[in-house]
Amino acid sequence: MAVTAQEPGAAEPDVVTVEDERADRTFAPSPLGWVARGAVWVAIAYVVLVLPLSFEGFEVQQFSQAVIYGIIGLSLNVLLGYVGQISLGHQAFVGIGAFASAYMVSVQNQPFHVAVLVAMAVGAGQALVLGGVSLRIRGLYFALVTLAYGLVAEQNVFQIEELTGGGQGQPAPKPGGFESDWRYYYLCLAFLAVVLWIDWRMLKTKGGRALLALRENPRVAATFGINVRLLNLFAFVVSGAFAGLGGALLAHNDTFVSPEVWNFNLALVFVIMTVVGGLRSRVGVVIGSAFFALLGYFIDKFTFLEDLLANIPGTPDLTAELAPLVIGPLLLLLTLTTFPGGIGQQIRPIQGWLRGGRFDLSDRGPKEVQISDVRA
Amino acid sequence: MEALKERRGAVAGAGIAALVVVVLLATGEKEALVIGVITGAAYGLVALGLVLIYKSSGVFNFAQGEFGTVAVFALWLFDDKVHYGFALVGALVVAVVFGLVVERLIIRPLFEAARVILLVATAGVALLAIAVEIWLGDAQGKTIARAFTKTDRFDVLGVQVSDQRLLLIGVLATLAVVLALFFNRTNLGLAILGASQEPTATELVGISVRRLSSFTWALAALLGGLAGVLAVPEADSFTPGILTSGFLIPGFTAAVLGGMTSLPGAFVGGVLVGVVQAVATSAPVFDDIPGTPGTLMVFVVLIAVLAVRPQGLLRKAA
Repeated sequence: MAVTAQEPGAAEPDVVTVEDERADRTFAPSPLGWVARGAVWVAIAYVVLVLPLSFEGFEVQQFSQAVIYGIIGLSLNVLLGYVGQISLGHQAFVGIGAFASAYMVSVQNQPFHVAVLVAMAVGAGQALVLGGVSLRIRGLYFALVTLAYGLVAEQNVFQIEELTGGGQGQPAPKPGGFESDWRYYYLCLAFLAVVLWIDWRMLKTKGGRALLALRENPRVAATFGINVRLLNLFAFVVSGAFAGLGGALLAHNDTFVSPEVWNFNLALVFVIMTVVGGLRSRVGVVIGSAFFALLGYFIDKFTFLEDLLANIPGTPDLTAELAPLVIGPLLLLLTLTTFPGGIGQQIRPIQGWLRGGRFDLSDRGPKEVQISDVRA
Repeated sequence: MEALKERRGAVAGAGIAALVVVVLLATGEKEALVIGVITGAAYGLVALGLVLIYKSSGVFNFAQGEFGTVAVFALWLFDDKVHYGFALVGALVVAVVFGLVVERLIIRPLFEAARVILLVATAGVALLAIAVEIWLGDAQGKTIARAFTKTDRFDVLGVQVSDQRLLLIGVLATLAVVLALFFNRTNLGLAILGASQEPTATELVGISVRRLSSFTWALAALLGGLAGVLAVPEADSFTPGILTSGFLIPGFTAAVLGGMTSLPGAFVGGVLVGVVQAVATSAPVFDDIPGTPGTLMVFVVLIAVLAVRPQGLLRKAA
């Protein structure tokens, strides 16, 4: 405790500085603490990298799908989390990416990396055009335009037989060197890592900080000389490219693409997993996305869950296929009204601890800025 | 002359509409014209509800279609138990209660949140409603009786117009006028507009913004419910989420076409979108489009309006 007084014996000192003993030193975990943290890191690495090896075929595909959903979730996070816009037709971006990649490989006989690049370019191009039109007027018109676009994709684009291969779907073989399911799983993990890295670096740039300013208050951002339309477009393009990538990876994961799965419900599942995961929290979004990708699989696999859902009194069976559609929106509404930070906010204490900090339960992350005056 | 200049959009819209009518009559697509107007009336009714919520809370209400589907399911449940009239009223009550519950549980806690969050919440409500409908009512198509069973009383340009459809058009036209008067002439209507522009100032002059919010959502749910119970019996069968999958996007397009805040605009927009869709479905020019040409043409209209006249036909340029 340090006390500064101008005159000895003065009744009240002018300045009193009380220093907290604990805050004085930077916190460092004890050796035992490091061991505990290391053990948890190893456990996480085991679950992500090693555990999937003990499964085969269909189940590994489910895990790959969870990883790919992580990419799709990050793609929506760019819109919803960073610029405060929303796409309700993301299933179209993902689906068209899937068909573009499958078409390039199966019909045009192009190699996998070309197909993926084409899928990303197609996704970015669609987002650029739709975004350009919807930004002509202030407001969330991107949501409307993408919603209508999703239906067009479902009822027009996916009816083009040459692209979709008709009723059986378009075959999309796994790329050379990654034919086995678990190798492909690692390929998806690598892509997820790249997307995470791009997302992280993007926010560190001047443009990235401007993006965040945009979400907080577009008018103030414009006053500071930020080109609001251009940055919005940039975010749409990045999001569209990520979605196209996710689609391409999904296509080759299942080794064929069917035109039937890309509907409005899927678009909303994408939105739900992103919001429940926690906007602006990369780890949260990936966890949320993986959770929703695996929810049906878990219900199917753990029969006690299935029995539980089938025996809700007074209701028909809640099947493994339908359960995510009922549980998802419930979790979404609960998250929005009660825990706006989603999973990302809930796991912040654990994240801090794993990085070598204290286990601080009061760490709620940066405070959400409430915007009541901006009708954007 | 000045008034005409101010209403340039409306004049242009009327001009386009007249041109469309002439072209359709000349090319022999007159059936499409009639079918378009009567399906468009249902879109207009959905659009009215969307405009109402947009005017009062500045948010696109993606749950508007589900207000209607919930009413349709309620009507289907009540129909064989009580007289049709009572079933109809019961269905509308269910829709209004649903709207009030959504407002109380979802909209009100998010009063201060960003608009995009509110938008996501309404979309979540829509998906939850659809999922619960599939869960409790199964996904099979169901049929529902009309309020008026006579289907061949009138014959317009070779198309038989059922009494139900006349009722729908009548209800829509009446509502568009009554609501426009309500917003411009009554204290309650002005209070709703005030609350959307300056909520704090509205509170300060002694108006409860919360009660207004409950009122507008109940009214929007009533409009959605009306659209559902009047339009869906005309279809052969209905499935869960029918108003979201079939009416929401044309409804939004109609609202955007009308300027998003104009109630008569929603009516006009609905009819125009209906005609475009009907023509795209029947005219041979569109046969080469894969899948459903009507969907694509509605999308083209939406994009064209946003690209050429984003403020819509019936809104004065701000």
